[in-house]
Amino acid sequence: MFGVITLAFALVNLTPGDPAEVIGGGLASPEQVDEIREELGLKDPLLQRYGSYLGDLAHGDLGVSFFTKRTVASEMRQRFPDTIELVAMSLALASVIGIVAGFIAGYFRGRLPDRLLRLFISATQSVPDFFLGLLLIFLLFFKLRWAPPPVGRLGLLDTPPPVVTDGLIMDSIIARDWELLRTALYHSILPVLALGIFYSAYIAKTARATLGPAFRSKQVEFARASGLSEWKVAGYAFRQARTPIITYGAILMAALIGGAAIVEIVFAWGGIGQWAIDRILKLDIPAIQGFILVTGLFTLVIYFALDILVAMLDPRVSLDEFIGES
Amino acid sequence: MTVSVESVASRLRFRAHAAAFGTFLRHNKGVAVAGIILLTMLLAGLFAPLPFDPIKPNPSETLSPPNASHWFGTDRSGLDIFSRTIVAARLDLPLAISGALVSLMVGVPLGLAASTKTRWAERFMRGLDAFQAFPLLVLAIVIVALTGNNLRNIVVAIALINIPRFIRLTRSEALALRESRFIEAARAIGASPRRVLFRHLLPNIVGTIFAQASLAVAHAIVVIAALSFLGIGITPPDASWGAMIREGSQTMATGHWWVATAPGVAVFLAVVSFHTIADGLLSYFERADH
Amino acid sequence: MATEALLAVEDLRTEFFTSRGIVKAVNGVSFSVARGELVGIVGETGCGKSATIRSIIGLVRPPGRVVAGSARFESAELIRMPRRKLRAIRGSGIGFVPQNPFGALNPILSIERQFRNVIRAHESISRPEVRTRALQMLTDVGIPDPERVLRGHAHELSGGMAQRTVIALSMILGPRLVIADEPTTGLDVTVQRQILDLIRDLLEREHSAMLLVTHDLGVVAQYCHRVIVMYAGKVVESGPVTKVFKTPAHSYTKALLGAIPRPGVDLVTISGTVPDPINYPVGCPFYDRCPHRSDPRCETESPPLTEVSEGHFAASYYHPTRDQSINVGT
Repeated sequence: MFGVITLAFALVNLTPGDPAEVIGGGLASPEQVDEIREELGLKDPLLQRYGSYLGDLAHGDLGVSFFTKRTVASEMRQRFPDTIELVAMSLALASVIGIVAGFIAGYFRGRLPDRLLRLFISATQSVPDFFLGLLLIFLLFFKLRWAPPPVGRLGLLDTPPPVVTDGLIMDSIIARDWELLRTALYHSILPVLALGIFYSAYIAKTARATLGPAFRSKQVEFARASGLSEWKVAGYAFRQARTPIITYGAILMAALIGGAAIVEIVFAWGGIGQWAIDRILKLDIPAIQGFILVTGLFTLVIYFALDILVAMLDPRVSLDEFIGES
Repeated sequence: MTVSVESVASRLRFRAHAAAFGTFLRHNKGVAVAGIILLTMLLAGLFAPLPFDPIKPNPSETLSPPNASHWFGTDRSGLDIFSRTIVAARLDLPLAISGALVSLMVGVPLGLAASTKTRWAERFMRGLDAFQAFPLLVLAIVIVALTGNNLRNIVVAIALINIPRFIRLTRSEALALRESRFIEAARAIGASPRRVLFRHLLPNIVGTIFAQASLAVAHAIVVIAALSFLGIGITPPDASWGAMIREGSQTMATGHWWVATAPGVAVFLAVVSFHTIADGLLSYFERADH
Repeated sequence: MATEALLAVEDLRTEFFTSRGIVKAVNGVSFSVARGELVGIVGETGCGKSATIRSIIGLVRPPGRVVAGSARFESAELIRMPRRKLRAIRGSGIGFVPQNPFGALNPILSIERQFRNVIRAHESISRPEVRTRALQMLTDVGIPDPERVLRGHAHELSGGMAQRTVIALSMILGPRLVIADEPTTGLDVTVQRQILDLIRDLLEREHSAMLLVTHDLGVVAQYCHRVIVMYAGKVVESGPVTKVFKTPAHSYTKALLGAIPRPGVDLVTISGTVPDPINYPVGCPFYDRCPHRSDPRCETESPPLTEVSEGHFAASYYHPTRDQSINVGT
């Protein structure tokens, strides 16, 4: 974890190039650029900056944005739940599609459904997710009018619910504003579809690779030979295959926090990825630093939780072993 | 006139490799097709004569759908999309390939070094874990944004985010091979560690490394497209698929689908081709192993 | 001896459709098993014995398929039987003991849960009843601490204990026929004996029959009443164990018996190799390796099973004379 913190600092502050100059634009005079540098604290020696970085962190202070002058922490806190909602919904959809597809391919290995599926997987993985989003906008909004225009999480005339968690869907549920909830979900269709379909390919690949052999395993053969119904047999196979699938799901979740950024931009979702990219383009160093740091730490937390979950589910991995190791 | 044995031997070896390559292509028609597609795209981007000037705006023909003269239609400035799509290959493909190659050249030796059982290797891998905790796409954006929009930085960014995958792959393959019998035998007859590394480990890993490189290029193409979609990296007036998609994104909602679709399909074709090559390489080398 | 056979297999044919060609794994197999009878199927690897027993209980998966023949269990035709009826028979009518116990036991579920799944697939009984019956069965198979085994998981068991548990699972519903596919391969030699004795005792107690697939002739000689010798997907000889082993009627059986290592005697081998299952030759499958080949029909017509003496059948045109008998010894 310490490594992550240090790396976040290093990545942003050690890259060559002078942010002060870029902020100043090509038109600023050398004195003005210098002034900017002073203000940004870039003139202090590196070690001193590192020290104050760590010190601030200990207080939970992620710094103040160069541009909006609000604290980085508050800006991120406001947008993080939106991204979480998007990621959660997309991952859920991706899992459903992926597991079902992977299961069908694994069960019918080598025959037509499997081959069709491999084609589908190749195709969806090769399309950039934001392009898929654009295609969906065209097909489902423009042509078929099934989905709303990509103007954001709510329509232009809707009012947001009172802020409790900053997550639109969660707040609507808390406020029991069902109409709003429906609108929010309606506006989520396209981005969730885009991300869900794209990432379902990854899950389908894993599911196929694990479920396929699981169905051909000796355990399943014995289960069938003992007269268990095909549903129970399927349950056996799924239980054997679930660890790699869950692991992959966790990896995807961690990756999606930052990876959904461009889709967020396309659909004006207002999540943390979109915010981060905006800040990066404006060279808002504290914000960039804060974002990298938080996502890195969040990823670590997810992996940690994953390890615990796997240890609980799989009797072959003993919890004491795991605790002893870490 | 003496002909050295070495040169004859190396010529024969070359001939053998070429023959093996030919058989490989024949068995893997998918790879051959993919290779042809990619070569066409690359060569067309570099050399082909274009029906229209990809840079000069043509205000009289803005946003016209695909027709006989403009095969892919025109965009908001009246530029011919077909020409721009082809020209974009000039930058998008070589950048992706160079980025992947650089990360291969850096990552593989690092991976080999990390496969030794030293304390340095342990700590290095931990550091790599920390590095990989970050969203790589965002990292690439950060790097290019902070260092400036030139081509060299794009290659560096792509290389940096792909290095971990080569390190991990090389290391795990090397670790697996280290335990195998023939390495044991080589050491038993007194081969030095470096000799073991280069003459024995490396040749067996080459196949999977190139397959992974192909995947890295595929990924790099998407990253470059994402970068130029956001306006960083390749900047106008240079043509890039990502930038074209961004232009198209604004017109998608109003029904002008062709502006973004052509470059999107180009990206798709390139990525699928590299994936196919990677799959072909993997299955070939898996078979050869047995 | 019951007049109606418990299991009657007739001209069973199973083929696997692979990219290289059609593999005729089971190429016309016929035999029967009577109530309470212990029958052993022997043959080299690849002779089709595993495929045969899987064909009988419907465990052949694509690209394999039972293409012809019949297998009647208690007068019900198993081949192409509707799934639900077949499932009812599996486990309660016909039990299955596989080769690798860890391949049969689910690594994630507790042993008790697995017993519950198997029993509940055929009868609805309560959890405590499941426990009682499972505990009793585990004791019957000789497990010293059945409580702990029930609560635990597969990976906590040793090889011998695991195989005993699997035997318990496959016999807990009291099947009339138990099919065992090399149940002792991979176990220590001493454990092998114990397991086989255990199986025999359980079968005798329930008066169940057994179809035991093995490549070990000694096991067959010790534990089986009748033996079926398979080669290249066909039955080449069958009959009471003592008769077949003392006076083998097929050259292959003779060669097998002759190849048993004996101290002081040079190792005898059978020259040649098994024919390619995709391209079986016309005529007797053993023709290439047979030292006799006396009959002109050997090369062109595959010999049918003919009765050599009471209950003793051989698929051969050549019949070795009585004075060439071979002693197997115990």
